[in-house]
Amino acid sequence: MEMYGYAGKILTVDLTTGEGIKKVLDEKLASRYLGGDGFGAYFLNKVVNPKIDAFSPDNAIIVAPGLFVGTFVHTAGKTAFFSKSALNNGWNESVMGGRIGLALKQAGYDALIIKGKANKLSYLLIRDGEVSLKSAEHLKGETTRKTAEEIKKDEGDVVVATIGIAGEKLVRFASVDCDERQAGRGGIGAIMGSKNLKAIAIEGKNDIRVAKPEKLYKLMEEWYEKMITHPSFEADGKYGTGEFLEWMNAERGTFPTRNWNEGVFDERKEIDPYYWAPRYAIKNKACVQCVKPCGKAFVAKDIKLDGVEYETLFALGSNCGVANIEHVARANELCDLYGMDTISTGGVIGFIMDLFENGVVSKEEIGMEIKFGDGEAMLELIEKIAHREGIGDILAEGVKKAAEKIGKNATKYAVHVRGMEPPAYDVRGIKGMALAFMTSPRGACHLRSGAYALELTGKFWKFDGVDRLSSKNKGREIAEMENFMAVYDALGVCKFSRGIFLLNFEEILDAVTGRAYKEDELLIIGERICNLKHIFNIKAGWTKEDCKLPEKIHKPIPKGVSKGSYVSEEEEKEMLEDYFNARGWDKNGIPKKEKLKELGIEDMM
Amino acid sequence: MYVKAIPENCSGCMVCEMVCSLKHWNLINRYKAGIRIEKKSVIEDLPHICTHGNECNFECISACKFDAMKKENGIVYVDYEKCTGCKACEKACPLNAVWIHEKKAYKCDLCKGDPACVKFCSQNALVLEV
Ligand code: SF4
Ligand code: SF4
Repeated sequence: MEMYGYAGKILTVDLTTGEGIKKVLDEKLASRYLGGDGFGAYFLNKVVNPKIDAFSPDNAIIVAPGLFVGTFVHTAGKTAFFSKSALNNGWNESVMGGRIGLALKQAGYDALIIKGKANKLSYLLIRDGEVSLKSAEHLKGETTRKTAEEIKKDEGDVVVATIGIAGEKLVRFASVDCDERQAGRGGIGAIMGSKNLKAIAIEGKNDIRVAKPEKLYKLMEEWYEKMITHPSFEADGKYGTGEFLEWMNAERGTFPTRNWNEGVFDERKEIDPYYWAPRYAIKNKACVQCVKPCGKAFVAKDIKLDGVEYETLFALGSNCGVANIEHVARANELCDLYGMDTISTGGVIGFIMDLFENGVVSKEEIGMEIKFGDGEAMLELIEKIAHREGIGDILAEGVKKAAEKIGKNATKYAVHVRGMEPPAYDVRGIKGMALAFMTSPRGACHLRSGAYALELTGKFWKFDGVDRLSSKNKGREIAEMENFMAVYDALGVCKFSRGIFLLNFEEILDAVTGRAYKEDELLIIGERICNLKHIFNIKAGWTKEDCKLPEKIHKPIPKGVSKGSYVSEEEEKEMLEDYFNARGWDKNGIPKKEKLKELGIEDMM
Repeated sequence: MYVKAIPENCSGCMVCEMVCSLKHWNLINRYKAGIRIEKKSVIEDLPHICTHGNECNFECISACKFDAMKKENGIVYVDYEKCTGCKACEKACPLNAVWIHEKKAYKCDLCKGDPACVKFCSQNALVLEV
């Protein structure tokens, strides 16, 4: 029987031997996990021993398009990458809007599992559904942009996902690029580098079939209307994801600044898209399949990129105290070209600036002066990190490991949770997000829960009257938001559509797959996925002690409307306990047998 | 009547390709669409679509030896009974707006006057010129 909405097969490639094995996608598996995030959660648990080192050839990279990828469902073109994390050796995933998953699906596969290690720098080619491994020695050290161009010259109409020099050099926060969109977080690019895998090139030309095409067309007509008349359509269209930057500063006071010393960036004028978009953005840029784009084609003298995104305006802007938008944009472009996550890059640079300003490291020790606000020095450091030169070699390890290497009292300045540098939400004044940073399976992350909008506005979905400055009742909220968002990542729907679709996917799923999943069924799938990721972490050695918030979060925000707010160690403990409770886990965060049974995953523990 | 592409507005979302194949063939496959987006660089996304004579001299019709490229009410379309997939039209079109996939030619047929790509292009990169 044809499985509508799916390609129907899973491909496993062993880079050591160059062989590919195709397996039929099990129908039951598909209905229990949907796709994307669900397949990642299932297969990473199945194929990777959680105890190994992230850079071991036995680590795997899984590429899985969401179920809706290639089905025309609006804003649902997202593909997720999974692997053991280069930053914390636990669970990692990173979602992107490039076409690699679409191409994979059209090549005949709902997931690609890559194991082993190539004997020299290579790229993986999938054409007519068949696998071959080709030399990429001539692309060594090339940028992501150049690599994609060169491979397209040689292979024709293929979609390319590639790493830059940072991935080759095992920078622990190296990203993967496809169509100038990135799977940024957790160092999937470094895992590719550790496998001598420069790129994945896919030619996919098969049809994607859905169960009820006419119904789907009609539904998409309705949803299209809702999308383009929604206020976020205009806001994203004009200013991109940074639209609320001013609001985050002036109205909430939770825009992390200068390595989390402050929550308001006074010099923000130029990095606010209300300033730069009219001056530098020539048009919108979209993820594949998106009718409501938030990207911008940013053009200045020697700069061209798809950006600058909200998180980057923080990371390479306020977090480093850099107020010049051209410096921020160039830094963004360099990160894209070298293949590095902008959030972590800004995290490590803000960190070393903080150390320098506080005299923990000297000019002699790090080979340069590096003060907050120095855009030129930031650009120089990006080069050093990507090439692992001088102090860059230490920073390429991420904030946590770098602080340990530097010694003295550097850990006091290291802002991370479970080794991951956090995104642009000063959680001292958004306490639910402080919990979300602790519970995200990949380390400090805003996307697994997507609860920032709820916390900052007080309401979303079933929640109302949420107080961002309180630490009470956050356990259930974050757990349920994580389940909700896991559904989005399994379907491949953009999280910026969550306020429009909510979980109204019943009819769409019927049109795509022929099976009308109800909201409660979807949420159980989401919960199953979240538990599976946690199980992986537990097997990898996770304990609740690892979830600790950085020291700076225990100190009050010095100024702005959230002045005085912080998360105490008591609150930290309480919130975590509340969350474990809401999850049906014991006081150490270990899922109880009943819970696993209820979710039908007792055999996975 | 034809669909005019305005590349300066195109976001590169490829929604037009998807909806075209869905509407014509009840499936999704950009290789069976009558419009294609060329992702030329990070800041250039170029829609290619037939202008039905507006910016050409119907080279595809002249090139076809099998009488498979037809024109009716100003709309140039493929007669699939006759198309052999010989690629003559693909080579002849000066705008790169006809493509052969699995031995069949694909091009815009204007959805009989109500083009789906225009309806779902949220960026005003495709407009119907009458
Ligand atoms: S739908 Fe419009 S914006 Fe999207 S790719 Fe097509 S022409 Fe460009
Ligand atoms: S397909 Fe090309 S040659 Fe034929 S009518 Fe259209 S633009 Fe002209």
